[in-house]
Amino acid sequence: MNLRDKLRAVGGDNADRTGQAERGTGDCRHFAVYRPEEEFPGARELTRETLSLMSEKEMPADFDPRRILYLDTETTGLGGSGTVAFLVGLGFLTDNGFEVHQFLMRDYPEEPYLLKHVAAGLGRFDVLCTFNGTTFDVPLLESRFLMNRMDRSCLELPHLDLLHMCRRLWKLRLGRCNLGRLEEVILGKPREDDIPGSEVPQRYFTYLKTGRMDLLEDVLKHNAQDIASLCVLLNHMADLYLHPEKIRFSEDVYSMGRALERVDQTERARKCYRLARGGRMGDLAGSALAVSYRRSGQREEAAEVWREMIREGRGGTLPYVELAKYEEHIRRDIPAALKLTEQAIARISEPGLGQGDAVQAEQNELQYRWQRLKRKLKEQ
Amino acid sequence: MNVAQLADQLRRDNHFMKDVTRWEVIPARPAKTAPFPDSLDPRLIPVLAQRGIHSLYTHQAKSLEATARGEDVTVVTPTASGKTMCYNLPVLSAILQNEDARALYLFPTKALSADQVSELYDMIEGMGVDIKTYTYDGDTPAAARKAVRQAGHIVVTNPDMLHSGILPHHTKWVKLFENLRYIVIDEIHTYRGVFGSNLANVLRRLMRLCDFYGSHPQFILCSATIANPQELAETLIGRPVTLVDENGAPMGERHFVFYNPPVVNRQLGIREGAVPITRAISGMLLKNGIQSITFARSRLTVEVLTRYLKDMVRDPLGNAGRVRGYRGGYLPGERREIEKGLRNGQVDAVVSTNALELGIDIGALDACVMCGYPGTIASAWQQAGRAGRRKGTSIVFFIASSAAIDQYIVNHPDYLLTKSPENALLNPDNLYILLSHFKCAAFELPFADGDRFGNTASTQELLDYLDDQGILHHVDGRYHWSAEDFPASEISLRSAAAENFIIIDITDAAHHRVVGEMDRFTAPMLLHENAIYMHEGRQFQVEKLDFDACKAFIRSVDVGYYTDADLNINLSLLDIEKEEQTAQGGTAGLGEIKVTALVTMFKKIKFDTHETLGFGHVQLPETDMHTTAMWWTLPDKLAEKIPSDRLKNGMMSIANLLRIVCPLYLMCAPQDIAVVYQVKSPITDKPTIILYDNTPGGIGLSHKAFGMKELLLGKALQVAEDCPCTYGCPSCVGPVGEIGEDGKRTAIRLLKELTK
Repeated sequence: MNLRDKLRAVGGDNADRTGQAERGTGDCRHFAVYRPEEEFPGARELTRETLSLMSEKEMPADFDPRRILYLDTETTGLGGSGTVAFLVGLGFLTDNGFEVHQFLMRDYPEEPYLLKHVAAGLGRFDVLCTFNGTTFDVPLLESRFLMNRMDRSCLELPHLDLLHMCRRLWKLRLGRCNLGRLEEVILGKPREDDIPGSEVPQRYFTYLKTGRMDLLEDVLKHNAQDIASLCVLLNHMADLYLHPEKIRFSEDVYSMGRALERVDQTERARKCYRLARGGRMGDLAGSALAVSYRRSGQREEAAEVWREMIREGRGGTLPYVELAKYEEHIRRDIPAALKLTEQAIARISEPGLGQGDAVQAEQNELQYRWQRLKRKLKEQ
Repeated sequence: MNVAQLADQLRRDNHFMKDVTRWEVIPARPAKTAPFPDSLDPRLIPVLAQRGIHSLYTHQAKSLEATARGEDVTVVTPTASGKTMCYNLPVLSAILQNEDARALYLFPTKALSADQVSELYDMIEGMGVDIKTYTYDGDTPAAARKAVRQAGHIVVTNPDMLHSGILPHHTKWVKLFENLRYIVIDEIHTYRGVFGSNLANVLRRLMRLCDFYGSHPQFILCSATIANPQELAETLIGRPVTLVDENGAPMGERHFVFYNPPVVNRQLGIREGAVPITRAISGMLLKNGIQSITFARSRLTVEVLTRYLKDMVRDPLGNAGRVRGYRGGYLPGERREIEKGLRNGQVDAVVSTNALELGIDIGALDACVMCGYPGTIASAWQQAGRAGRRKGTSIVFFIASSAAIDQYIVNHPDYLLTKSPENALLNPDNLYILLSHFKCAAFELPFADGDRFGNTASTQELLDYLDDQGILHHVDGRYHWSAEDFPASEISLRSAAAENFIIIDITDAAHHRVVGEMDRFTAPMLLHENAIYMHEGRQFQVEKLDFDACKAFIRSVDVGYYTDADLNINLSLLDIEKEEQTAQGGTAGLGEIKVTALVTMFKKIKFDTHETLGFGHVQLPETDMHTTAMWWTLPDKLAEKIPSDRLKNGMMSIANLLRIVCPLYLMCAPQDIAVVYQVKSPITDKPTIILYDNTPGGIGLSHKAFGMKELLLGKALQVAEDCPCTYGCPSCVGPVGEIGEDGKRTAIRLLKELTK
């Protein structure tokens, strides 16, 4: 038995080769796609100030939305140094629309050319925008530059990763936030005839074996659409940040409030919480609003929110407890604190609140608070 | 009473001594020291002085000198001889002198890494320098990983993590690879067989990447005592090493007592159990205030012995903290506490599985009791090495169980006491293992025309094959990975076959949990439907075996029987590598075979009485395994003279003897090899006894056996002749019921002829 036969016995045999990939000389393939300005409403008006509401990333002082580079890669796998970005698309706004330039390696020897175009592209822009690029596209490209012994400092641009920004706004309502779902639910534009991302690597490998460029047409289309969507999505978000009253879902308004607090936009955050108070998220929004006041030392405003929540019957025992703390520690009105605690105890004993460890623990805590207040009252 | 007094007293006790087959005294040995070599960074000297170290033992000094000369070093040292200095000192010196320098430490288990890191921390803290030592394994939090990759001077990990977590993502480890100065591999004797063959290939991949990043690391390897540390090290790393094997550490006098429990039923050859004897001896040590460690082979025995000993020392409140059990499954914190208790003397007795065999630091104890033979000489000496202070007398008791191998050891103490005949074998070119790692290597970095993978001669054939299969894509002189898979995820370093069966406990419907893995060649035997599968002393029944998905679903049960599957094995010859005529007119051969295994039925066997309670049918596909084998054929003249029934019994007896003897001399676990006999073998057309590697592709055991083909038969004869039974017993040729009344006699006659 020769080694080749043994290898077939040990490793299996699926030999199959029907053609050859197309080969150029001295460069990779380049495709350009032009999209009209109307598809990107508001994109040219995006300002540094609006972005500062959306992301903690420091933007250049002379920020210009035309100097954001939107980037997306199509790869041969899910990571590790054997994964290659065989197609890299770069998109940007121009004075009369949106351009996508796609660089495709027709075979592995073209990778250095592809990377050179990417590096040159990155060098002409100030900000990078991707979807999940922090954990996927950027480390992958870093790895590719390194494997080709090329300088990878071009990747060190301020980076807007829309995945994280979108999760902050929509995770509460949507759960998973992949680009396809966001296009459908948030932008209202479901994709038709789109190639699923999971099929992309196999398309490329089949192309390598057969040389059939038509196999890659769907992939190119998919990539160009992804990149255009990044720009649309970013500006859609920007619009919502400026006009939270446009948001139709209480979860999203509340989420935006949380996102704004992250970047210390307290007033805007409170506006979102107020908008969300009437809806399904009323309990959380009310509490968040009160906590926000308390944090900035506005104790009376916080107390007023708790009182409103009690009037509206919102938030379970939390407003009673918080108000009791306020009466005890700020206003030093022990009888009032005691009364609120008793009300909370009455509330938690109501049927329908359920049993379980959490309820039990809360009950214990309330009892403890009540006894402590009783003692304090006697000592006075 | 101290150890010396106790030893005196026991030697005068005739009742005890009648069952002692050997009392060996190993004389005390003074320290051999050497001054600190120039290569040692002077900043280390005060830190060593604080620990009372003012010179090095000779083996440490020799190792440091060889390392300073730029050589790869293998240090062979017994337990507690300060081997960590052999690598910590050069590594710390290198980093002190160049803060960019990096080192990679590989330990076979996590517990060991934790131990070594804490020792390193102490020294680094003592110097007040900024040398960052990080453990990188499955427990490292994701948030900390980036820091480890960027800033760790010393990265401590295990082969599995290196294989699947570091090498395939090497571009995230640029700093480490560019500046890698030392690769330290401790406990290399554990890297034998499949695990070692895998590690050797992981190291080939590592060295390829170092080449790419332009670093040229040196190896510092440590091994416990085995026969072939140099060969093992050189096979592992694929280059020559300097061997440092003379131990300069001092050692007090040591007594080694071989004890064979008395026969209680002469007809059936039944002996008193090893556990009660161990209990008595460990108890005696405890009463006399002699700090001891007791090794037992199973977790269950550990628990039983721990309870006995605890009962002896319980205070009125029921506390018995002076006695502790120690085994896998205890929480890390608890283990650390026990280790500390042993070091500072708060724990007087510990009962352990071989979990404490590896180099975990528990200091040196006064006495060691081995309840049963741990399987290899290296293990036995590692266990024995737990007792033995640098000054003062220590004592080791070996208590034989009735298992054949234990009986061999207790009746042939010289086997254990004289120079180790055990070899640690591995075969990096096992095609199954090689091919898997070759894929990983190609994924990590494209091969170019003319490249070689380690010292594999067949690199080009492998490349061509993978190119044919479309896994690699050959263009412009380079082979690019062109598959979607992540090849490292398809290999488990601790088994050879690519697809392992996973074992899933479905007792709790809400929480299915994976409890183990098994290779696909063993799975049909032990995981067929309705098999009773034992895990951590609990019984499970296999509810379903999904052969295609490689999953077995088991459910906890409590039944009074176990199951034993009937395995039909067919062997066919693929290739003869060597065939020799023997002086006696037979032949001995070496080659590749295909083993086809089919399980068709199983027996339910009652515990204790071993009666068969019933049968069940098994419907599973055949499994094929290509492996290496060696065989002996009987000379025609000899075979012709013996009636075929008797010949069959004799050959069965020889096969049974070889199953006992071969693991001892090949240094492998009994299940690593298989021995079968065929009265008319399809391989040779003659009466033949065949030994094969029970691992796909083989790990070299058959080759080694071929080299020892006369010796193995001679040792088999010795076991048969030395055994006091007349017609056969489980300790030698097998029970009479299996081999017949003439089996033993025929076996002895055949073996005498074959070794004449």
